[in-house]
Amino acid sequence: MPATVASQWQDRQRRVFQSVFPIDVNHPATHPVRDSLSGTRGRRKEHIPLQSVATQPLLHPGAAVAAGDQAAYDRAWRIVTAHITLPPSATGDNSFGSLAADSQQNLQSSASAEFYEAFEVLVNANALLPGAARNDDVLSWHGRQVRAHYTQRVMPLLAACVDDGDGDGGDEGHDRRKDNHHDERHMAIVMNSIRTLEAALRLYFYGLNQLLSGFARLAHVSPEAAKDAESLNDRFRRDLHALVSNSAPAGLMRSVKAVLVRLAGTILGIPDPGMRGGRDGPNIPNPEDLKVQAARERLLQLTQQLHNVGLTGERFQTLFAEVMDAIMSEFVTGAFAGVWSPTDPRPLSAAMSLSASLSAASPCITRLSDWVENHFARLAYEVLTCISTNNPQGPLPVSLADVKMYQSLALGRLAALRIQELFDIALAWPDSRPALDDLRATITTPARRKQLTDGFSKALQKRLLHPGCSTLEILRTYISIIRTLHALDPTRVLLSSVERGLQMYLCQREDAIRVVVAGLLANPEEMQAQKEVRESSKRQREKAYQDGAGRSRRRGKVADDDPFLTTPSKPSFRTPRGTTPETPLARNPNNAASEHSKHPPKLVELALLLHEPSQNRAASPSEDAIADLDWDDMNWVPDPIDAGDGYRRPRSVDVIGTIIAALGSGDTFIKEFSIVMADRLLSDNSDNNSGGRDSAAPRFDQELRVLALLKRRFGEASLQACDVMIRDVQDSRRVDGIICRERARERERGRNLGRGGAGEDDMDYHARILSRLFWPGLDREHFLLPPEVEQQQKRYEAGYESLKSRRKLTWLNQLGRARVELELRDRTVVVDCSTVEATVIHAFQRPEGNGDDDAAAPPVQKSVDDLYMQLQMDEDLIAAALHFWAGQGVLRRVGGPGSNTYVVAESLVDETAPGSTTGAAPSDSDQPMDEEQQAAQEGDSAAPVAGGGSMSAKELERREIYWRYVQGMLTNASASMPLAQMAMMMRMLIADGFAWSNEELQDFLAEKVAAGEMEVVGGKYRLVKK
Amino acid sequence: MSFAESSQNTTSGSLQANNKLGGTRKPVEPGQNAVKRLQTELMQLMTSPAPGVSAFPSADGNLLSWRATIEGPADTPYAGLTFKLSFEFPSNYPYAPPTVLFRTPIYHPNVDFSGRICLDILKDKWTAAYNTQTVLLSLQSLLGEPNNSSPLNGEAAELWDKDPALFKTKVMDRHKDIEDD
Repeated sequence: MPATVASQWQDRQRRVFQSVFPIDVNHPATHPVRDSLSGTRGRRKEHIPLQSVATQPLLHPGAAVAAGDQAAYDRAWRIVTAHITLPPSATGDNSFGSLAADSQQNLQSSASAEFYEAFEVLVNANALLPGAARNDDVLSWHGRQVRAHYTQRVMPLLAACVDDGDGDGGDEGHDRRKDNHHDERHMAIVMNSIRTLEAALRLYFYGLNQLLSGFARLAHVSPEAAKDAESLNDRFRRDLHALVSNSAPAGLMRSVKAVLVRLAGTILGIPDPGMRGGRDGPNIPNPEDLKVQAARERLLQLTQQLHNVGLTGERFQTLFAEVMDAIMSEFVTGAFAGVWSPTDPRPLSAAMSLSASLSAASPCITRLSDWVENHFARLAYEVLTCISTNNPQGPLPVSLADVKMYQSLALGRLAALRIQELFDIALAWPDSRPALDDLRATITTPARRKQLTDGFSKALQKRLLHPGCSTLEILRTYISIIRTLHALDPTRVLLSSVERGLQMYLCQREDAIRVVVAGLLANPEEMQAQKEVRESSKRQREKAYQDGAGRSRRRGKVADDDPFLTTPSKPSFRTPRGTTPETPLARNPNNAASEHSKHPPKLVELALLLHEPSQNRAASPSEDAIADLDWDDMNWVPDPIDAGDGYRRPRSVDVIGTIIAALGSGDTFIKEFSIVMADRLLSDNSDNNSGGRDSAAPRFDQELRVLALLKRRFGEASLQACDVMIRDVQDSRRVDGIICRERARERERGRNLGRGGAGEDDMDYHARILSRLFWPGLDREHFLLPPEVEQQQKRYEAGYESLKSRRKLTWLNQLGRARVELELRDRTVVVDCSTVEATVIHAFQRPEGNGDDDAAAPPVQKSVDDLYMQLQMDEDLIAAALHFWAGQGVLRRVGGPGSNTYVVAESLVDETAPGSTTGAAPSDSDQPMDEEQQAAQEGDSAAPVAGGGSMSAKELERREIYWRYVQGMLTNASASMPLAQMAMMMRMLIADGFAWSNEELQDFLAEKVAAGEMEVVGGKYRLVKK
Repeated sequence: MSFAESSQNTTSGSLQANNKLGGTRKPVEPGQNAVKRLQTELMQLMTSPAPGVSAFPSADGNLLSWRATIEGPADTPYAGLTFKLSFEFPSNYPYAPPTVLFRTPIYHPNVDFSGRICLDILKDKWTAAYNTQTVLLSLQSLLGEPNNSSPLNGEAAELWDKDPALFKTKVMDRHKDIEDD
């Protein structure tokens, strides 16, 4: 850096020299001294007359008169120049100023008639001394002298000023600790330079004034010479200023900039970087603040001084513009980043007048406009006025149009900031509404809209659409996005251009539809819980906001336990600016678990939306068409310029509709919906008691509501199955009631007759009768029910067939719930479980005969194989059921972790260390045992076992089909193919859609490879030839 | 003021109407029905495959171009051999028959040396009721029962009846498993 500065400096010096001397060529007095450039100014002057006299005869050998005239001229020249010559400041130290003053006094005292006489001779040389052929303009001589003096004497002094300052510390002041010191230092550099320049200029102007006063005296002799005295003065000043401003050392300009930054920053409310620590960001400064006033005064004074010494040339103006530009950016980011609601409710009456056009402007915009007009533009005006004092009659330095331009610039920056923040704004909906107002007011051009959609899509990809986010999270964010962008742009064009990527991604999430449907069907309790969670998270956030204000509000690194990150209901953290710009949605599992211990997380927002009246008004297509042709609509505006082909103006937000539409085709959705519906209808246990009539009132309000909504969307016919399902459940309640009453009567009769098999009759048994054709996923799972239950089933069947002749019941044994009472040795356990689980635990019941001599009998012990033989049940189901009972503490696994043998845990205290005995009976024979398992089966209906039964069968079928596709493809299309191509072909060729991701397909193929049916060669799969 | 707005409304209204018309007038891409039909056929082939024949769209992802495989039926000279075929479906399929070629060289009375097949259902007897699977099964049966009255390969037709042993040799000579491109 210093080297380049030095070379630049030398370069400039050379240029100055060259600009000084070439004009000397035709000057008689200085002509001979051109070879003695290195000589001092004093010596050169001594030589002038001698040399010129000596050379003259050579040039004009025959003109004696002319020689006399020339001599007189030269004498006059000498007198004048001696009078206004600049003092040689050989030492060049800081005594320069006083020295100048001294010489000034000397000169003033010696200002005599002699000078004016000689001056008159010089000026009127043509008239008075016609013989003097070579004469010169004393003014330009003065100019040359000044320039030479400036370069040789003043500039080293200026450089010394800067060097003194630069001696310590870094040049840009990165070191914050030294900040104040730096400011002082920069100020000192600037002030010293100004003082030096002021002294020098005083000197130069003294000489000029002498000459000008000479002209003034001559006014009567040669009026034309006196006339342009004023313009001469101006020209001299202009030249001098150009010289100063063009040769000012870079270090000086740097210091000027530093000083400008500090003062303007203070005036415009940008906090000092060194003091930012504990306080908040930039704010609109209070004009009454003494500090601000002092800074303003200081800045203007400084500008005036700089202007006086000629340092406010283009470089200064550029500098000032840069500083103001930086300050505007800093103010916008600092004051408004992350501020989406008015923090400062102070009424801005001043701003009201200007924002007539922005009548509905958000607080941020109002504040920003106010700042620009009353602070930013004011400062610019003041400083620029200072600079251009010389021509007050010229145009105003800052016109009203300029102010408008500043405002639009500032708004543009605000827009850029908000675009950056848009993802977080969407997450924080609806608290971020004011920020959207900012955006709406600032997003005015197609280019900015494009910037917005691009930026937002990128943010989506980076922060939402990755495997780390649950589908629920994505959908929840999607809802926020829909509402946010709709608020931003009611025409939905922005939304539709943003959501494409999101929709594509959601289609890959298989559980998306399930999440949506579950959310739609959420019950009021869950909604309430959701509301509470939301409230608490809001409180938490506010608290955190207060705690963290200033410390880590925007710049802090988000810690793992940051509450912003942990509210699963409302992910509303903000992007930490600078440090970690891309925080994926994440949440603390502990926190989530505690908040959702009662209800698993659901997309409850949808259910809440469903209850909003505005959402229920689904716009029918015809309505839309009519609205388009509404000639009287005075608020009509053309479609946005970036709207696509076939664009239609939507009438309402319609979040639900948008989400459903995003999930792909209606068929898939309806299919999924009916499955979820079936689950819910079956899992509803409202009729599990004998008083079936009380609960006979339909409790499917929510379901019916959703159904109605979907019907409006997809048409009545496509949802017929769901209608049937609901009616089935309601009908079967009635039928069940009748059958049960009938059986109760029968029982009563039997008791009256004295026959009493009470043991088997005190079991409640209810059923739901489903229409086979309309229920999805009702596959029969075969297993043997306990004989008691089977008996009940038979009786029920008989009752039904007597009620509805020529109809038969097919029992779906796996779809049922049962309440089981287990009497163990030291406790009684009552569990609600599935029929499969009940059947399995029933198998552990001690055979009737042995029930009494329990003292010696070991607990019943069975393995999966035993149970398989006994129950003819699917082994996976058995294993799952055993696991369930082990979890309930009723069964205990014996024989180590690998074994699949279970034993009844008769007492809670585990007498036998698990794993130590391999299959041997526990040796607690001295304890009396009483084991009685009473299984009270209730109702052959309800939720399918999770992960069992129907789902796995469907999955197996799917795998089979896909395998055939793979075989067909590799047999015919190409013998070997890479994974991606296979997945692509499957996706393209399978008519109802390929349900797997590439990874799932890869896993599947890996299984086939392991089974020896396929092989991988060179990254491509192929079939093994048999 | 109000006049200006209403005139604006008018122009936009007509624009909107144009858009709508444009939307409805969107031409159906040729071959779209054929693709749909072929997708369905593929699904049927996969769910209920016939023994000894299989077919699949070609690897370039063009649904109008398929590749198929026929295993030579037992008790014929072609037993134990597999034959690759190509199907090119016209865009008005199934109202026109596909062009079927043997890609594997085959010695057969009704197939010429460049793989072209003489089979009535692939020519004038084609109806939309046929599909890929029925064509493949017909071809499979053609292997066992050639139509020697209208041969493309006269020598083969002759040898079929006269010298089954030589025929078999010729079949084995001619047959060559082709590698996939």
